[in-house]
Amino acid sequence: MASKFWTQGGSDTEEEETDIEDEIENGGAGETTAAAAGSRYLQTNASDSDDSDGQKRVVRSAKDKRFEEMASTVDQMKNAMKINDWVSLQESFDKINKQLEKVMRVTESDRVPNLYIKCLVMLEDFLAEALANKEAKKKMSSSNHKALNAMKQKLKKNNKQYEELINKYRENPESEEEKFEDEDEDEDEDESGSELEDPSQIAAESSDEDDEGEDVDDDDADGAWEKKLSKKEKLMDREFKKDPSEITWDTVNKKFKEVVAARGRKGTGKFEQVEQLTFLTKVAKTPAQKLEILFSVISAQFDVNPGLSGHMPINVWKKCVQNMLVILDILVQYPNIVVDDMVEPDENETQKGADYDGTIRVWGNLVAFLERIDNEFFKSLQCIDPHTREYVERLRDEPLFLVLAQNVQEYLERIGDLKSAAKVALRRVELVYYKPQEVYDAMRQLAVLSEDGEKDGDETKVEETRGTSAFVVTPELVSRKLTFPENSRALMDILVTLIYKSGDERTKARAMLCDIYHHALFDEFSIARDLLLMSHLQDTIQHMDVSTQILFNRAMAQVGLCAFRVGLIAEGHGCLSELYSGGRVKELLAQGVSQSRYHEKTPEQERLERRRQMPYHMHINLELLEAVHLICAMLLEVPNMAANSLDAKRKVISKTFRRLLEVSERQPFTGPPENVRDHVMAATRALCKGDFQKAFDVINSLDVWKLLRNRESVLEMLKAKIKEEALRTYLFTYCFSYDTLGLDQLTKMFDLSDAQIHSIVSKMLVNEELHASWDQPTRCIIFHDVEYSRLQALAFQLTEKLSILAESNERAVEARFGGGGLDLPLRRRDNQEYAAGTAGGGGGRWPDLSYNQGRQGSSGRAAYTGGGRPLALGQASRDRSSQSRGTGGYSGRAGSGMRGYQMDASARMVSLSRGVRG
Amino acid sequence: MVERRVEVVARLKALEDAAAPLVSFLQNPNAVQELRADKQYNLQMLNDRYQIGPDQIEALYQYAKFQFECGNYSGAADYLYQYRALCSNSERSLSALWGKLAAEILMQNWDIALEELNRLKEIIDSKSFSSPLNQVQSRIWLMHWSLFIFFNHDNGRTQIIDLFNQDKYLNAIQTSAPHLLRYLATAFIVNKRRRPQFKEFIKVIQQDQCSYKDPITEFLACVYVNYEFDGAQKKMKECEEVILNDPFLGKRVEEGNFSTVPLKDEFLENARLFIFETYCRIHQRIDMGVLFEKLNLNYEEGERWIVNLIRNSKLDAKIDSETGTVVMEPNRLNVYEQLIDHTKALQGRTYKLVSQLLEHAQAQPAR
Repeated sequence: MASKFWTQGGSDTEEEETDIEDEIENGGAGETTAAAAGSRYLQTNASDSDDSDGQKRVVRSAKDKRFEEMASTVDQMKNAMKINDWVSLQESFDKINKQLEKVMRVTESDRVPNLYIKCLVMLEDFLAEALANKEAKKKMSSSNHKALNAMKQKLKKNNKQYEELINKYRENPESEEEKFEDEDEDEDEDESGSELEDPSQIAAESSDEDDEGEDVDDDDADGAWEKKLSKKEKLMDREFKKDPSEITWDTVNKKFKEVVAARGRKGTGKFEQVEQLTFLTKVAKTPAQKLEILFSVISAQFDVNPGLSGHMPINVWKKCVQNMLVILDILVQYPNIVVDDMVEPDENETQKGADYDGTIRVWGNLVAFLERIDNEFFKSLQCIDPHTREYVERLRDEPLFLVLAQNVQEYLERIGDLKSAAKVALRRVELVYYKPQEVYDAMRQLAVLSEDGEKDGDETKVEETRGTSAFVVTPELVSRKLTFPENSRALMDILVTLIYKSGDERTKARAMLCDIYHHALFDEFSIARDLLLMSHLQDTIQHMDVSTQILFNRAMAQVGLCAFRVGLIAEGHGCLSELYSGGRVKELLAQGVSQSRYHEKTPEQERLERRRQMPYHMHINLELLEAVHLICAMLLEVPNMAANSLDAKRKVISKTFRRLLEVSERQPFTGPPENVRDHVMAATRALCKGDFQKAFDVINSLDVWKLLRNRESVLEMLKAKIKEEALRTYLFTYCFSYDTLGLDQLTKMFDLSDAQIHSIVSKMLVNEELHASWDQPTRCIIFHDVEYSRLQALAFQLTEKLSILAESNERAVEARFGGGGLDLPLRRRDNQEYAAGTAGGGGGRWPDLSYNQGRQGSSGRAAYTGGGRPLALGQASRDRSSQSRGTGGYSGRAGSGMRGYQMDASARMVSLSRGVRG
Repeated sequence: MVERRVEVVARLKALEDAAAPLVSFLQNPNAVQELRADKQYNLQMLNDRYQIGPDQIEALYQYAKFQFECGNYSGAADYLYQYRALCSNSERSLSALWGKLAAEILMQNWDIALEELNRLKEIIDSKSFSSPLNQVQSRIWLMHWSLFIFFNHDNGRTQIIDLFNQDKYLNAIQTSAPHLLRYLATAFIVNKRRRPQFKEFIKVIQQDQCSYKDPITEFLACVYVNYEFDGAQKKMKECEEVILNDPFLGKRVEEGNFSTVPLKDEFLENARLFIFETYCRIHQRIDMGVLFEKLNLNYEEGERWIVNLIRNSKLDAKIDSETGTVVMEPNRLNVYEQLIDHTKALQGRTYKLVSQLLEHAQAQPAR
């Protein structure tokens, strides 16, 4: 709108100026006055018509009028030329362009009137003349001079559009003009022979020109650019059809170098460069050259990305993927072409034709490109709002990338570059690992569905390539189809095996974590656990990069969920408690930015954190996670609290849970539960009283359960567990009140079978949690009186404190003289520390169950209740993991000592947060 | 077949010729006496005096291997023994040792085989393998072969625990060959003296329940993890089947016309004892009828069994024959005994600590 306004204003002033001109000219050339007057008349008319454009007029008359207008403007220009008045010339030029538009609109054809072309030619020649005449230039007034320069640029830009017509015009026309043209060639390098030699040269000009005339272009939207460029392209194509033989390797190469050199320079249009290069691929003479150019196309496409935080436009991304596929096609077709990014290839390497026997080296790095494409995909998913349709559409592009990755991997495997293939495989793994079978199936279907559509698209694309370039035809050798195994597990196995065999350390670690995650997703807890232990990732994860740490946390969370689903409460709690101990779950899982009350983040940190975020579809549902964590904690903690009701501080399994419970107990009124936490707290209160039914009902009413696949069985399991723990809690709490307790009564109370109750109670008896024994004939439990006298109780406390003292002494000595100082068996020492940790409550070295201890089967728990029982099992499986590393295929580092294995929860958190800060 | 025979005989000839000088040397007792403990010296001497070089020694190995393949195990064992004395290549020496072990097992020389087994075990444990996987694999091989020995050797049942229950070997079993748990479990049940290790073993079984199941391990799980005595009783019957069908466990001893499986009886006896023991620990009064049913015994037999137990003071209980129950004596520890238990260890530990401190204190001024 503004521009329209401006031009209108322009035409007004122009009018005045032409008046002045006319007056001046009147003195010299009387004959033109009439024309000038006429023109004035016409001009006003023109502006009139401009205003009343909306009202349809009779076409014919309008058309004539337009032509007349144009003619008059041309006349004006001629006049201006004669007096060397560049200012007015410039204005007239603007005007004629506007008029041209109108003419075109009116005539409804895309044929540019001859008049206009003629005018252009004239202008061009005059411009060249003026430039050549240096002395005259010097004499010019400053405004005039400025106008001259502006005109030069405008004209050049404008003429490009009509290049062909101009040429045509010049080819048949008056001989004198050809003289000018020669001059042109001498003077203006840019212009030289553009129409004769290489049409792509024009593109270069345009880019050069861009440099100068940036301010002019800036307003132009990208869309306009593309439109214009496509026009230009068409033009180029036409040129090529005319004389394909003229294009040689050299010209293409030269042009290519030129375009590449312009890369990154200020003002180089990024889209434009892509277009130019794409065009060049079509005219490339040899496959190697085409390859080389394609590589540059892709790099240029990456450049399009506006900033570090933004993502690549999606259509560019898709084109990029297509280009990669074409590259693969070439590589497959000509196996003698080697892609390499180490060696600086010979300048003319690409000159060797398709029939050349030896290897041809081309600079490029497939893997890097692939990874970049993947990153862009990831980034775009981060940026797009997950609740929009756009997000879903974007997700559909995933198979496209998978196809590419699959093909690249196959190619790399074929040429034996297994290390890179492993990297690519990792990318594929990372796209698959979080998908449950249903999602995987959906993706497969999508791939099959879109195949048809894709095929059409491909065909048209191929035709296009063939139509424009007869030089290097690349048949589609690489399949565009995604070959999927039925089962995502199978796919994972294939990929992961490849990675374990030939990946580097980080790749292997990541693949391992993905593998663990995937196993956990499929409820295979023991496999996931074994992998986790065997890989020793827990020791080394602190030293890895942040994104791998996030992956580790995700895997841990998933393993915890998995343990819960299969009914291993203690293990589940062990996995999750750590995640929740800091209250920064969101941050640890990279699923949203958590606000910290205590320190503000700098924008830099925030940006970093934002860049790490997981896309929405990969999220682990936080509510479910919290529910599972709290329920696990509840099931462990409630009987534990009941057992140690007198000495509440003594053994704390889950500090988080205790704290929440305290908070909820402090409330004067308890309303109906609203969030997950409230639900679990309500259930806890019921469970404390032994009311399993109410506890279960409350938990059952949580709506996160609908996220579980095998919801029924999980809830069934949960109910059984709640019953069991309710029984235990009841026995702990009320054992003092009973002398005997009938089995039948218990079965009735807790809705459990005789055998189950018998088994549970027996377990408690054997573990000496309960001082009682069965009386078989009467089927009841007889409680023994185990009241200690005060003196006895105190004596016990004293001995306990003594042993703690002894232990701390030992540890002090040990720390002073080194681990080997004491000849205590290692196992025992470990055990003591552990006992000290638990006995010392909060002050211990491992304040709550660190993961590995909690997870060693229920032995962790047994060790708790048994107090001083050896933790041998944990140790055994620790050693086991150090040895059998190889069987997992992950032969990482040498077995570290068992001390190193102890994963210190806080250390990991710190390291992660250090990553956040740094 | 005939062709094959010709081929084999030809090969035998060739190998025999190649190894002939060394064999003749070894068969000469006087010459053999000249060999000394020093391997280097021996090689030198053989080379100097008998023109026996590495080639011949290598031939001896091949010859022994061939002998083994032909079924002449004693010959193979002898040659391999000699070879080991002369061989300088540790890799080869190891495989010679394996060969020797195989030969001894096949000849059923259990004592010698056991010796070889221990030697092999030492080498495997001390040798640095190219990958941990290799080491684990050779351990597993060793364990499999050792089954032959342990279930035939008199003292084997104790030794199998010693071998299998070492951490390293247990790990190998858990990761790669969980079926070996059966034999270890059986050995534990049959063997009464290994209580401390037994508890750990129970935990292993519990942990590996998902990866390996077997009536015998399930039996243990029933008794010691879930305390399901009815289940345990069922498993016991299944165990009987398993034992009879297992090549190692169900070894038959022919006595006249009867063939008995000694291990089966032993197993059942001990298993019963296990159940009973655990059962007693958590009960105060037990109806004998129910108990015997659980133990697969008839009343008479059962009563005698219990009386025996009480008489041998293995069981602190009394029979109330009027009501047909066994009454356990409450066996809770005295509070003061517990206190003493708790503190007893402390003294030793403190003492040790102090001596440690003193040692260091003395060492420092000396420095």
